[in-house]
Amino acid sequence: MIELKHLERSYKTGHIESWVLRRINLNIRQGEFVTIMGPSGAGKSSLLNVLAMLDDQWRGSFHFDGVAVHELNRKQRADLARRRIGMVFQSYHLLDDLTVAENIDLPLSYKDIPKADRTALVADALDRFNIVGKKDLFPSQLSGGQQQLVGIARAVVHSPTLLLADEPTGNLHSEQAREVMELFEKLNQQGVTIVQVTHSEVNAAYGSRTIELRDGWLTSDSAAIASEVQQ
Amino acid sequence: MIDAVLQDIRYALRWLRKSPGFTLVAVLTLALGIGANTAIFTLVHAVLLKNLPVVDPNSLVRLGDNEYCCNLNLSSMGPDYTIFSYPGYKYLRDHTPEFDQLAAMQAGMADLSVRRAATNANATPRSAFGEFVSGNYFQTFGIQPYAGRVLSPADDTDAAAPVAVISYQTWQHDFAGDPSIIGSTFLMNTHPVTIIGVTPPAFYGDRMSTDPPGFFLPISQQPTLGSSPERDEASLGWLFLIGRVKPGTSLPTLQAKLSGLQQQALSTLPDMQTAYGKTQLAKAHIVLTPGGLGIANMQHQAANSLYLLMALAGLVLLIACANIANLLLVRGMGRRAETSIRLALGAFRARIIRQMLTESIVLACLGGLAGIVVAYGATSLLLALMFTDAPGLPIHAAPSLPVLGFAFAVSLLTGLLFGVAPAWLTSREEPADAMRVSSRTTKSSSSLLQRSLVVLQAALSIVLLIGAGLLGKSLNNLEHRDFGLDASNRVIVNLNPLKAGYKPEQLQGLYQQIEDKFHAMPGVQNIGLSLYTPLQGTSWSFWVFAQGEPEPAAGHFIGSSFNRANPDYFRSVGQRIIRGRAFTDADTATAPAVAIVNQAFVKRLFKPGENPIGRRIGAGVAANSSDYEIVGVVDNTKYVDAHEENDPPMFFLPLLQPGHFGPKHLDSAPAKPAAIDASLYAQALVLQMNALTPDLELNVRKTLAEIDPNLTVDHYATFASQISGNFTQERMISRLTLTFGLLALVLASVGLYGITSYGILRRTSEIGIRMALGAERTSVVSMVLRGSMLQCALGILIGIPIALLCAHFVTALSTLLFGVQFWDLTVLSLATLSLSFAAVIAGIIPARRAASIQPMDALRTE
Ligand SMILES: Nc1ncnc2c1ncn2[C@@H]1O[C@H](COP(=O)(O)OP(=O)(O)O)[C@@H](O)[C@H]1O
Ligand SMILES: [Mg+2]
Repeated sequence: MIELKHLERSYKTGHIESWVLRRINLNIRQGEFVTIMGPSGAGKSSLLNVLAMLDDQWRGSFHFDGVAVHELNRKQRADLARRRIGMVFQSYHLLDDLTVAENIDLPLSYKDIPKADRTALVADALDRFNIVGKKDLFPSQLSGGQQQLVGIARAVVHSPTLLLADEPTGNLHSEQAREVMELFEKLNQQGVTIVQVTHSEVNAAYGSRTIELRDGWLTSDSAAIASEVQQ
Repeated sequence: MIDAVLQDIRYALRWLRKSPGFTLVAVLTLALGIGANTAIFTLVHAVLLKNLPVVDPNSLVRLGDNEYCCNLNLSSMGPDYTIFSYPGYKYLRDHTPEFDQLAAMQAGMADLSVRRAATNANATPRSAFGEFVSGNYFQTFGIQPYAGRVLSPADDTDAAAPVAVISYQTWQHDFAGDPSIIGSTFLMNTHPVTIIGVTPPAFYGDRMSTDPPGFFLPISQQPTLGSSPERDEASLGWLFLIGRVKPGTSLPTLQAKLSGLQQQALSTLPDMQTAYGKTQLAKAHIVLTPGGLGIANMQHQAANSLYLLMALAGLVLLIACANIANLLLVRGMGRRAETSIRLALGAFRARIIRQMLTESIVLACLGGLAGIVVAYGATSLLLALMFTDAPGLPIHAAPSLPVLGFAFAVSLLTGLLFGVAPAWLTSREEPADAMRVSSRTTKSSSSLLQRSLVVLQAALSIVLLIGAGLLGKSLNNLEHRDFGLDASNRVIVNLNPLKAGYKPEQLQGLYQQIEDKFHAMPGVQNIGLSLYTPLQGTSWSFWVFAQGEPEPAAGHFIGSSFNRANPDYFRSVGQRIIRGRAFTDADTATAPAVAIVNQAFVKRLFKPGENPIGRRIGAGVAANSSDYEIVGVVDNTKYVDAHEENDPPMFFLPLLQPGHFGPKHLDSAPAKPAAIDASLYAQALVLQMNALTPDLELNVRKTLAEIDPNLTVDHYATFASQISGNFTQERMISRLTLTFGLLALVLASVGLYGITSYGILRRTSEIGIRMALGAERTSVVSMVLRGSMLQCALGILIGIPIALLCAHFVTALSTLLFGVQFWDLTVLSLATLSLSFAAVIAGIIPARRAASIQPMDALRTE
């Protein structure tokens, strides 16, 4: 599903060019649950941004379901991402002025979906995540765990095939974290490909494959090790 | 206490230095706002508030409260008297010991042709204005001479030698301040007059005018130097009266007494003997008004416009205030932490409010200082715009003490106005907030107050823009209205053969010579001669009567303007002959008396469908109604007032046929041996040219000098500029309002831009999230634009009714709007469009910036 070859990303600050992703080669198949780990500043978020197609300043090749992302222009990438990808953030990034239901509706509102269908989809998501009773509350009236639940509901309401999560449990205590991970597990079982960034081995255990980044280099990949072992 | 204030001021200055960008924008905005107000106030003060530069102006009173001018029949102008005959003046003066002095001054000005006799016999005379005044004129005002002496009552007697006082300005300007002028003899209108002194530099006479008199002459000289012997005519009003009352005089009592005296003075007039006259006489009265401003006609004319401009400038300042309040609110947010810490450290809210108000006031005063500079420049520009050629006008751009005081007061007020809300809001910060880690939020972009301020700005701007549009359209209507004239390639030369010493019997030769000489000039098509020309600001008028029509009842007489014309006059001003004929060379002084009338005259005097050609009419009294036979009818034209809706009736007589404008037995009365018909003296020469060449004026002057060196040119102008001169005031107001409107537009746009930019700054993460969730750039742009357009639209919705209400009042209370409905749709839509356009521009820049937010970066700020 995802095929990265020689992917590189650097930031220029003044005259200094600092590399944050270095010659990344990575294949992720449909239905995988991948965990990216690594110390702070290793480039995990940068990689996730590339996958989310929020970034377009990288070099290398990136195929998404056979589509050559590196050949798409900005608008086409945004279009592809809008249809296929959902994102969950560490600090939830809910809009404070919108209710729970309105927040969940947000990704739908940017697509050509009839109002009635949107309402149905939102109702469905509320139902699936057990937050129907909270639909008219504002984010500030929810606990962190509940907010992240809304964040996940918002990320999957339009049925993306790829779910990206950047430290989704970073601001939660372990009980809430477990709940989120179980949710991810369930989504994965329903066929959603998941790529998450986490510092927690416990969280990583929910996934099927772990990748490690250090100083922008992909230093270890459990799938590769597994395949070596098989050979 | 003083120390604390000084410390506050020191903090304020430090704070302003710390953010030079903000300080610069704020000071500039304030400088424009305060500058505009100070400039207009400079005019208001100079024109409306400043007394004459005379001794104790507050004890001066003027007799009369209207603007009648300049030569009027007393029996027809009543019952509220402002203008007086010379015998009438003497009667009032001699019966009112309540007055320390009661002075009389000519209502109009005397045209003089002046030449210094001794030095150079061949020198060409100059045109100048003189004013006939009573001998106690300077005494009344307490004016001491700059050199020589001023007039005294002894100079104002029949036996006295002819003398005049020259004004300081004329002395400097025309005679280079030559001291030998005092005691020398001048020829004025060919009569010798001795100059006895110079007025002080600040003195400009008894009224503000663009052309103050250059010479003050005793009334005793009037029969010799004036255009007709008005002095002893009891029925002719031509004098204004100003007196200095003795301390402790009750003005209401004096007013009642003067009204009684006036009735007695008028009771001897023949016109007052009829039944109608008696009823009029019983109503005759005089209203006393403050005399410190002198003859305040110019002030009365300018007052409405100045008040309007003052109000408009005030709106601009309000917009500026809203802008700065907004900037301060934004900065207040930035200082929330500082304020919370101060509060946590135990500062009183009052102390914080005081500090912030001090900052605003210091800021406003800096703006005020810059505003004074702006005002000086703006006033100079304004004066140049309003009075193109008025060296004698006593209005100066340099700020006087009251103007400086005004600027300071406005600055203080402005500082309070824009400072109070931000100070209050900031002081309500909770101390606990400071201790919390600065929490990032996607909460609403800007406070309600800030958005209301932008809405207010938009509303005020639309008011100004609509005002500018209405006034501009009104001016355009005026300038392009059909005056019934053709001004192209025409020039108007004003002269006066009377001043050159011509006797009535010499006039025919003179006119013949003028026509011949000018016809010989290359490029001349037509030569018109008349008493005066259309829209020149002059008018003669009389009651008119038609033979065979019922005589109107007393009090319902029909007035008509009157002019004289040579055969080519109508063609020369482009006035069409509708019926009958123009005058011809055969209409000589001895030929049958004929007249030409305009259509309005026909409509007023004859029944519909009646043929006016061949009918007889007369002027002055009903007994004259068979004097002239109508031989032609001309098209209506605007003649006296360019703003006039209705066309006034007019009749024309040939240049030299005798005219009768009063009872015939008086024409030859032995009491008036010098009586001449002043209307025989043509005072306007119209030249219709093939083209206007640059050397035309010179050639005209040369040609006139060849005919007679004493024929001085009083005024030279193209016909077009004479007409457009009628709209100087409108043009000035319209331009100023447009300037204010544009200024408002810019300020409001800057305000909208600022608030939108700031909003986007605060919404960066929200916009980033939206884009990460799939929002397109265009939808971000339209979201931001929708916000700013909403404020603009609200402003328009609020502003339009206010503007309409104001415009309605202006239309109802003044004649400032000509031919424009106050709800003019073109103007409304244009104003709305320009504001919306400005709002789009002001919104699109931050909106595009919002759309270029990288969601990745926006989300990274954690
Ligand atoms: N917009 C940016 N400009 C400059 N440097 C950046 C930017 N974004 C990330 N970096 C740098 O790139 C490196 C990797 O960052 P990031 O991908 O956020 O690391 P991680 O998520 O693994 O902690 C860091 O050193 C960071 O400082
Ligand atoms: Mg990270």
